[in-house]
Amino acid sequence: MVDITITVNGEKRITSVPPETTLLKLLREKLNLTGAKLGCDAGDCGACTVLVDGVAVNACLMLAGQANQREVLTIEGLADSQKFHPLQKAFEELGSLQCGFCGPGIILSAKYLIDAHPNPSVEDIRKALSGNLCRCTGYTKIIEGVAAACRKIAGATDKAA
Amino acid sequence: MDDKARVGERKTAPKSLPATDEALRLPAVTKKAMFPLETITAKPREQTPSVGQRATRHDGRLHGLGQTKYIDDMSFPGMIHAKIKRAGVAHARIKSIDVSEAERMPGVMATLVGKEIPVNRFGPTYQDQPLLADDIVRHAGDGVAAVAAVTEQQALDALEKIRVEYQPLAPIFDPLEAMHEDAPKVHMGHSNIYSSKTVNKGDVEKGFADSDYTFEGTFSTQMVEQASLEPHAAIAEWDPNERVTLHSSLGRITLGRADLARVLVMPINRIRIVATVVGGNFGGKNEITHEPILALLAKKTGRPVKGVYSREDEFISSTTRHPFIMKYKTGMSKEGKIMARTVRLICDGGAYCSWSDTTLSKACILSAGPYNIDNLRVEACAVYTNKTMTGAMRGFGAPQVCFAYESHMDDMAKELGIDPLEIRLINAFREGSLSPTGQVLESVVIKDSLLMATERFGWKEWKK
Amino acid sequence: MKPFDFFQPQSTDAAIAELVAYGPNVKILAGGTDAVVDLKHTPDSLGLVVDISRLDDLKGISLTDAGLRIGAGVTHTDIVTNLLIAEHAPALVDAARTIGAVQTRNLGTLGGNLVTCMPAMDSGPTLIALEAEVTIVGCSGKRTIPLGEFFIGYRKTVLAKDELLLEIVIPKLNLGKPASFIKFGLRKGQALALVNAASALWVENGRFKDARISLGAVAPVVIRAPKAEAVLEGQAISKERIDEAAKAAVTEANPIDDFRASRKYRSNLIEVGVRRTLTAAIDVASN
Repeated sequence: MVDITITVNGEKRITSVPPETTLLKLLREKLNLTGAKLGCDAGDCGACTVLVDGVAVNACLMLAGQANQREVLTIEGLADSQKFHPLQKAFEELGSLQCGFCGPGIILSAKYLIDAHPNPSVEDIRKALSGNLCRCTGYTKIIEGVAAACRKIAGATDKAA
Repeated sequence: MDDKARVGERKTAPKSLPATDEALRLPAVTKKAMFPLETITAKPREQTPSVGQRATRHDGRLHGLGQTKYIDDMSFPGMIHAKIKRAGVAHARIKSIDVSEAERMPGVMATLVGKEIPVNRFGPTYQDQPLLADDIVRHAGDGVAAVAAVTEQQALDALEKIRVEYQPLAPIFDPLEAMHEDAPKVHMGHSNIYSSKTVNKGDVEKGFADSDYTFEGTFSTQMVEQASLEPHAAIAEWDPNERVTLHSSLGRITLGRADLARVLVMPINRIRIVATVVGGNFGGKNEITHEPILALLAKKTGRPVKGVYSREDEFISSTTRHPFIMKYKTGMSKEGKIMARTVRLICDGGAYCSWSDTTLSKACILSAGPYNIDNLRVEACAVYTNKTMTGAMRGFGAPQVCFAYESHMDDMAKELGIDPLEIRLINAFREGSLSPTGQVLESVVIKDSLLMATERFGWKEWKK
Repeated sequence: MKPFDFFQPQSTDAAIAELVAYGPNVKILAGGTDAVVDLKHTPDSLGLVVDISRLDDLKGISLTDAGLRIGAGVTHTDIVTNLLIAEHAPALVDAARTIGAVQTRNLGTLGGNLVTCMPAMDSGPTLIALEAEVTIVGCSGKRTIPLGEFFIGYRKTVLAKDELLLEIVIPKLNLGKPASFIKFGLRKGQALALVNAASALWVENGRFKDARISLGAVAPVVIRAPKAEAVLEGQAISKERIDEAAKAAVTEANPIDDFRASRKYRSNLIEVGVRRTLTAAIDVASN
C-alpha cells in the first residue's frame, strides 16, 4: 500500500491505496469525486482531465503515488459555496454541453488555458482543447462558452481594477 | 401496562413545526454548495408562449458542476464487478469452455457461459444474436464467457484463466464475396443474404429507353463506431421478490424489458429498467448488450453486479454503422431531368442482424433522393460477414445513400455541363410529389430551402 | 493494472541502487504517457515501478560548456515554453508542440520519448539533425554517446538494466544552426506521425554546409539520410538541388504499408517533408 497525502479542492485528504491505483481511480473510488470520467483509460480522450498543481493532466495516466503531496483541482472544486466559475455559468447559459460526459475535462482544460492566457483567440481555445474529445456537440458552443467566460472574467477584472 | 389506557393519547398539544431550515442548528459540516434551479411559474390561467422563448437545458447546470451521475458513478452496497471475455477469432466453433480455474481465483464469485442462459438469442428483427456465444463465434468481439468478482482487476485476471478451445472456421469479411453460393456461411445453413428489400415504381426499361444519357456510379461507405464518450454500462440487482432492477445506459427501456423477459424467461412485470443520464448514445445503446449477463451473475451471487465496457469493447463488441456498397444507374434527358433510376444497395450486415433490417428499409426508400423519379427500381440486401455487428447509428441508412445520390448528382451535372444547383432544382420534390413508395408529400419546401441556403452561403460567388 | 511494488527514490543514485538490487522485473516511470499505458496492458505480473518524475538531476534546461543541456525529465510543455531552446534550437520547440495534446505534453518527458523509442517519436529527428548527445548514468558511472547510437531497434535502446537516461545535450557548435521540423499526421493533435522529417544546415557563400537530414516513422528507428546529405554538401543552393536531395532521401527509408497510409503515400511524404524542411531551414539561414 502507498500512503498518500493530497490536497483535493482545498481539502487535505490522507489515504492509503494499492500502488497500481491511478489518480483517477483514487479520486473516483476512494474520495467519491466522480466528476473526472473514465473514457478510454489511455490518455486519448481527456475525460479524466484534472489540474495537478495547476497543470492539466490525464488522471488516468498518473499513479496515485505520483500525486502525493500535490494539490489537485477537480470539477467539484471549481464552484465555491457562493457562485459558479464563469466557465460553468457560460456553459449553462449557452447550452455548450449535451450529454455532459466530456464536460468536467473540457472545463478544466479551459480553466488551464484561461489562467495562463486570459485573452485567447479562437485558435488558442481550439489548441487548448486538443486533448479533449466530445462526440455530441461538434465543439462550436463549447468554444463560444470559453470565449464568453473570458469576456466575463475580463469584465469583472476591469470592474475590480 | 394498563390494557384500557389509550396508547395514542397526547399529553400536551404539539408545538408547530418550523416551515424552513431556519430552525436547523449550525451544520456539523461545511455547507455544501447548493445551486437550486430557478423555475418560472406562470400565473394561473396565463397563456405563456413557448415558441421563441430562450430555454436553457435543464441538465446544463449539473453537467457544469460535474454532479451528473452516470452509471459508472453509481455504487451500491456489496456491489461487485463483471467482465466479459471476447473471442478474439472471427469465425470458430467452440469445442469447450473451461471456467474451473477462473472460479478458483481470488475474489471471483461467479462465472457465466452461454449454455446457462435460458434463451440465448435476441434481436430487434431476427433473434439471431447470442448474449454469450455458445456454439459458434461469429466475430472477434463475440463474448464467450463472463466473470463477476469483487474488483475489476480480479475479474480481468480471471478472464485470462478461462480456457476456450476453438475449431477455426473459414471467415468471410467482404460482403460481395459473402453473397456467393459457395462462400463460408456465417449462420449455419442459411444464405448470408438475410434481408432483401425492393422498391418498384413505373417502368425503368421505358425510362432508360426515353433517356438521352445514362450515367453509372458506384459508391461505398465505411464502418463507423459511435464512440460515445461514456461506454456501455449497467448495474443489475435482484430483490427478494425475484424482481430484477437494471440501471442501464440502454436507450430503449420497453424493448429492453421485452428482450430481457424473453431471454431470462420471466414475466415482463418483474423487470425494471432505470434508464439514467447517458453519456452519448447515437444509436449504439439502442438494444441490450450485457444486461442479461449481469442479471444472471447478480442472481448467482446475490449481489448487485456492475458491468462497464472498456474502450476496446466499444470498438469490437458494440454495434456500428453499416458499410454500404451502392450502385447507381440514372437515365437523364439532355435538359437534366431524371427519367429513370436503378439502385443496387449491398449492406454489410456484420455478424448479427441487429437493426440491419430497419436500416435497409430506410436506406431503400431514401436511396432515390428527394427527387421526382417516375421510373425507379431499388434492390437492396443485407449480408452477413464475420465482422462486428452493424446496428443503429444516427441516420439509420440515410447518411450512406445521401452521400451516394448527391455525389452521383454532382457527377452527372459535371458531365452534362449543368449547374449543380440547377440540376437539383429541376428534379427536386414539389408539393404533392410522390415519394418512391407512393406517398403524397405535403409541406415540401426543398426548392425554397435550396435557394435560400445557396443565397446565404454565397453559391453564386463561390462557383465563379 | 496488475499489482506492483512502488518506489520513489530521492536521488538518482538511490534509483540506480534499487534497479541493481531488485533484479530484472522493473519498470521506470516518469510522465507515464507511455509507461502507464504499457502497465495497463502487460499480461505478466509486474515487479517494481520506480518513479523518477521528481528527481532534480533529471530536470532543468541550461547552457553549459558542452552546449544546451536538457534534463531527461523535462516535459514537452517545459520545452515549448523555454526561452533558451526558443533562442538556440527553435525547431525542437516546433517538434515538442506536435506531441500528443496539452495534457500529455504536461506529463510526458523528453527522456521518456527517447527511451520508449517508438519509430514515430516526434522529438528524435530534430535532435538527430542537430547531432545531439545523450548522457547515461548507471552503477558504473556516466557515459556520453551520440543520440544516433542510443537507438538500436524497435522500442530498444542501449540502456542496460541498471541505467537511466540523464540528459540530452545539443552541442555548442550546433546552437543556432538553422533547422526545421515537420510532422505529417492524419490530424493536428493526438496523432501518430505518418512521416517525420528534420533538416539542419549552414549556408556558407550561398552553398550548403554540414546539412543533416533526419527521418522518423519510416524505419525501425529514427534515421539519418546520408545520401541526401551528400547530394547537398558544398553545392550551390538551388531548387533542383533540394529536389534531388528529397528524392534521394526516399531511397534511404523503408516505410510501412498500413491502415493509416500506404507505403507509396509515405514515400511521397518523405520527399515533401525533406523538401519543405530544407527550404524552411534555408529561410531561417537568410534571416
